[in-house]
Parts: sequence; structure tokens; C-alpha cells
Amino acid sequence: MTSTHPMKRRAILIFVLNRPGVLNKISMLIRRKMYNVETVTACRTHRPGISRMTLTLYEDSDDKMIQVIKQIEKIAEVLSAKELDVDNSFWREVAVIKLEASDSLMERLGSKYNFEILDRQENEVFIIQMAGTYGLIDEFMQQLGEGKIIETARSGFTAMEK
Amino acid sequence: MKGAELVIKSLKDKGVQYVFGYTGGAIMPVFDEMEKQKVFSFIMSRHEQGAAFMAQGVSRASLTTSNPQIGVCMATSGPGAMNLVTGIADAGMDSVPIIAITGQVPSGVIATDAFQESDVVGVMMPLTKQTYMPLRVDQIEESIHEAFHVATVGRGGPVVIDIPKDIQNQETAADYRFDPIAFESDLVGMLYSPHPERETIRKAVSLINRSERPLILCGHGIISANAGDSLKQLAEKANLPVAFTLHGLSSLPVDHPLSLGMVGMHGTVESNWALLNADLVIALGMRFDDRVTGKLDDFAVNAAVIHVEIDPSEIDKNVKTNVSINADAGGAIQQLLRDPELISKPRRLWFEQIETYRSEIVDEIQEEIDTGVGKEGQLLMKTIVSKLSKATGGRDIVVADVGQHQMIVARFYNFQTPNSWFTSGGAGTMGCALPMAVGVKMVRPNERVWSISGDGGFQMNIQELGTIMEHDVDIKILLFNNGYLGMVRQWQTLFFDGRYAGTPMKNPDFGKIAAAYGIPYQRVAEVSEIDAALAAAAEHKGATMVEFLCDPSEIVLPMVPAGGGIADMITSLKKKK
Ligand SMILES: Cc1ncc(C[n+]2csc(CCOP(=O)(O)OP(=O)(O)O)c2C)c(N)n1
Ligand SMILES: [Mg+2]
Repeated sequence: MTSTHPMKRRAILIFVLNRPGVLNKISMLIRRKMYNVETVTACRTHRPGISRMTLTLYEDSDDKMIQVIKQIEKIAEVLSAKELDVDNSFWREVAVIKLEASDSLMERLGSKYNFEILDRQENEVFIIQMAGTYGLIDEFMQQLGEGKIIETARSGFTAMEK
Repeated sequence: MKGAELVIKSLKDKGVQYVFGYTGGAIMPVFDEMEKQKVFSFIMSRHEQGAAFMAQGVSRASLTTSNPQIGVCMATSGPGAMNLVTGIADAGMDSVPIIAITGQVPSGVIATDAFQESDVVGVMMPLTKQTYMPLRVDQIEESIHEAFHVATVGRGGPVVIDIPKDIQNQETAADYRFDPIAFESDLVGMLYSPHPERETIRKAVSLINRSERPLILCGHGIISANAGDSLKQLAEKANLPVAFTLHGLSSLPVDHPLSLGMVGMHGTVESNWALLNADLVIALGMRFDDRVTGKLDDFAVNAAVIHVEIDPSEIDKNVKTNVSINADAGGAIQQLLRDPELISKPRRLWFEQIETYRSEIVDEIQEEIDTGVGKEGQLLMKTIVSKLSKATGGRDIVVADVGQHQMIVARFYNFQTPNSWFTSGGAGTMGCALPMAVGVKMVRPNERVWSISGDGGFQMNIQELGTIMEHDVDIKILLFNNGYLGMVRQWQTLFFDGRYAGTPMKNPDFGKIAAAYGIPYQRVAEVSEIDAALAAAAEHKGATMVEFLCDPSEIVLPMVPAGGGIADMITSLKKKK
């Protein structure tokens, strides 16, 4: 947001009425505040008509975070917004990865990482699904060795406080 | 019933008496229904921006009457709706509740770049509190009723309802029911019930009691809450001096012994020096706009801050508070007053200090007012406004445009009547005054209304002279013609070595323009003519216009330079460092 890049990753958890335009309003506000949204996820909750959004961005100042959250709370459809306590939350992401790897490599990886093979084509092309922390998924992709990534789809964070 | 009928019915159910607008293809069904039912007065503006400002005039001015109204404006799709944007953005910046109803292209062709299609919801969303686009006829009443709720709950603001033409023509099903009385909005984000805790009130009271150099900053929130009386009680009971933001003016008579006048960029010396030296700032219904605070790093560094504000997102935004009370200003003041601990202190030194501040340039200014002409021998605005203030006793309503004349009215008009001052503050939109005055006059018909504009701003909505002529709107138009975009010229004089880029203006013969609209007109070039011209305007029944030939060299002082702190205030050019 300023010339020096803020370092601290923050997560905001927002509950909203599922009405048209809500996501738009929140993202417009974040843009006005000149943040670059790192990840955003939205989903329904068990309560009908209510959705949950998790948004991550970088900001060092606590005061600025409080300001953004108060302004999000002002949006008519927002039921609540708060900053997630990063150290006391589970952060998870799902990745669907298409990769090229030998069967033996897949076997080795399989013993170390927990993933599900969704599809296997003849020429050693796999589509796998993996869930876990950001670091775990990153690590997996680095550990591929002689394997090759063709395409990745990562969901962005969702999180829950203890 | 048809969608268009429901629009009119909803407005009727909401007690709307005035609608301002401009027709066009996509809103025709609603206009047609309005003509059939005739349940409110319709006033056609000459430009949609005019309609939005007229609606603002209604909301702002009726607030303190026995019949508060929400101003409504209407426009067609595309260019019609886009012409509303400035007036709506302005309402958002100044927390004024208004409702805008726009026609939209038929729902089947939305997002195809159909003729006169604009993404109204997309454009308005960041400028308004809420936007609606009913996509079924049975959503119309609900949307409009919710719109009125949202516009007025908590901090006021504009709401837009964009209705596709086919939905205006759609018939409700036989079993359609809507109960306007039982209707409740489920927009939770808007519901708030800030009840300040006893403990918070107690902390505030203890800060006030301990303070030797307190200052109340009275903002728009006092006007919106109609809490001038409460403010007066608080100030008098605890012996607290009061300074006003631009929109806080007219909360109290500005010559009240505890009043220091306006604060901020063009505030009085006494209120700005008091703000700089206070040990306690009690901010009531205001948002620490940069025109009030100057450079934030230097703001109130030695003061504790109590902030009473209805919008929680304003608290701790610009200025860190010691005690914050998230409440309607009126209610919070009442709670402070009820606290048995609240005491009065003489604070003799502080009031003496304030007297010293006040005397700093008072003689110099009085001398200018008495001379009445500037370096180029033409009229000084401060002389005209001082005379207007004397002539009216400060009891009449004034509506001001944006520029030097606006700041001079804010400084030199002796406001006596609660809620008698209307202008564009947060946005500072030139052209606001003429149309806003029309709306104001509609809801305060028994008071005299002066609409004061510069030659620049007057020409931004000059077309509304047509509306004034057609409806015989009895406003007194004062045109302060200095041949320049004066306020910008002032900055050029002070900070751009006098290079007048894009500020001089060749003006038309305003007398002929007034004549074309059948509006009686006077032209004043001499100090000796001012009083008689104002008296004639005041006595005339109906619209009238006085053009004053003003001196382009007049500089509005004091001035806190943009980006500077209050300590950098220029009080006099003679003493300029
Ligand atoms: C719509 C709009 N455009 C530009 C400005 C910038 N601006 C602020 S004051 C001003 C000059 C106003 O001139 P005039 O109406 O003649 O009033 P004066 O200052 O001369 O009294 C300008 C251009 C503005 N406030 N609003
Ligand atoms: Mg001018």
C-alpha cells in the first residue's frame, strides 16, 4: 500500500447476506484502500442465505487493519467482519494439480504426501487433488524432482479459528 | 398492479411530497403513473444534477421542521442517471439522505450496450449507501421501503433504485401483498444501536472536568440530530468553548458567548489557535476532515480527544481518541448532561487566552469591512456578507455555492436560526447552491432564502433559473462576480507566484440572463448601494437577483495552507512570513 511493501499477511473473515453485489462492494472497498488482495474465498454456510468470505492481504499497521474492517462492517449486507488470529487458526487450501511423473515418482511422493489421484492418462500425466497448508502444497510442488507440473489450480485460503 | 404504480404508491406511503426529476424513455411508465395519481408535487429541473441537489435541499432543510422529508429525484437511464452522479456523490460526502429512482433499459437487454444503457448500479455503488435493481415487480415496494430505511438509519446518505423498464410495466400476481407498515429490513449491517456504556460516559466526564483548556468541535452530526439545544446546555453547563466545522454552523447562534466561530482551513483565528493549544478536544458529530485538522501529524498533539460519532468507521480513522462514544450526538450529549459528576469550571486563563487570539486580526478585518473595497476598487465580499448579516439579523436561511464567497459567508454571516445554513462541504461541488436553494425553499416556505454563488459556480447550474421561473420559487439570488474562479485564484496568488492559469473568465451580461427568465435584477458596484439593494431584494415577493461586482484581489484569511498544520495558519498577508 505504500512504497515499502508491507510484510505482514493478514486474514479477514467476513459473514455476509448472500445478496447480489456484496463481493463487488467488498472488493471495491479493498481496492479504494489500495490493497492488492492476495487470496479470496467465499462459500455458503450451514445457515441459509449467509455466506462466509476469507480474504488475505498484506498490511503491517494494526490501525489500518481496524479501519478496513470497520469500513467493511459498514456495508449493509455484512453481518460481521473480523481479523483472524493468524497464530490460532487453521489455514487450509485445496490444490488440483496436473503433472507429468513416472509411476515410481508418484509412489515415492505418495508415501510422503497425502493426495488423491483423480485421473491418470497413459503418457504419465496425472491429475491429483491435495489439501493442506500453503507451505505443504508449495513443498510438494518443489519436491517433484524430475516430475513436471503442467497446470495448477489452487483454491485460495479458507481458515478457522481454534 | 403495475410496477410503475407501485413506485408511486411506495413514495406516497413514505410521505413524499416533492419529487425532482427529468424524464426520458426508460422512466416514462413511472412519470405516466405520477401524472395519473398526482400524489406529490413534481418539479422538473433543467438538468438531472439540479434535481439531485434540489432533493438534498429538501432533506437538509426539512430535518428541523415538524414534517421531515426525504428528498427524491428521478431520471431516465444512461445519460439521465449519469447526470445525477455528481449530486449523489455530494450527498454521500455530506451524509445527506436522498433517494434517486432511475429508469433502466429492459431487463432482457441489460449488459448488451443497449440504447441509453449505463451500469448505474456499478457506477453508484461506491458513492451510495445502497443500490437496488428490482428484477421482478414484487421487489419494487420492498426495495423502495428498504431504501428509505437505509438512507436514514445511522449516518444518512444517498440510495439509488434502478428499475428496468419492463419491470415498471410488469403486473403483480393476484396474490401479491406488501405491508408497508409491517415491513422490516433484514439488512443487519445497517442496524446499530450504539448505547454508550456508563463507564465510557464517566471517563468522558472526568476528562472534561479535569481539562483546563477544552474545546468542543461541533460537526454536522449536531445538525442532523437536531441537537443544538443539547449542545448549548452542555457548553453552558460545563463552561466549554465551541468551534464549528463548516457543516456544524447554525447549530448555535454564532455570536453566543461560548462560540468561537468556524474552525479549519478558513476558520477564525481564535478557534484554530484554540484547537492548536487545547488540552482536550470534544468532537461531536464530525469526522476530522482534512479541511478541519490540517496536517494530521501536527493535530492536537497536546490534547486528549473525546469523539462522539454515529459512524463507527470514523472513530480512530484520522485522529486517535482517548474516549470514543459511538452514538447519535444528541443522545450522547444528553447522557453527558445527566452525569451528576459533570461540573463547571471558570477556566479564566483559557478564556482570556481565547480573547487574545480573537483580537489578533479583528481590527484589521473590521477595517477592511468598513472600507468595503479591495485593491482594484471593487466590492469586498466580506463587506457584502456583513451587511447581509446585519440586514437579516442572521435569521434568514443562506445557501452557498463553493469558493471564496462560500467561506466568506461561513465566516461573516451571523447565524441565528438552527439549521439555516446549506452548502456542499465534503465534496465542495460548484453549482450546488442554486438548485439546493430551490429544495430548501419548498420545505421552508415561510423563511427567506438567500442563494449565494460566485460567477463560476452560478454558471454550473445556471439552467435552474428555468425551474425557478416556472415554479415561481421565491429565492434571493446573490451573485458575487469577481470575474475569476476566485478560490483557485487565491491559491495561485499565494502558492503559484500569481500565475492565473484557467481562472479568469469572460462573463455574460447577467442582467440580460435574469431578464430572459423574468427575474428582477439589480447590479451593485458601490458600497453605498449594497444596503438598499439587499433591502429591495428582501422585500420583493418572488425570485430576484443581485449581482455584486467584487474585487478579484480579495483573499480569504485566515488560511491553513493545504497540507500544512494549524500552526502554519496565515492570519494576515501583512504578517506573512
Ligand atoms: C465542480 C467543481 N469544479 C471545480 C472545483 C474547484 N474549485 C473550487 S472553488 C473554485 C472557484 C469558484 O469560483 P466562483 O464560483 O467564481 O467563486 P469564487 O471563489 O470566485 O467566490 C473552483 C474552480 C469545484 N469545487 N467544483
Ligand atoms: Mg468568482
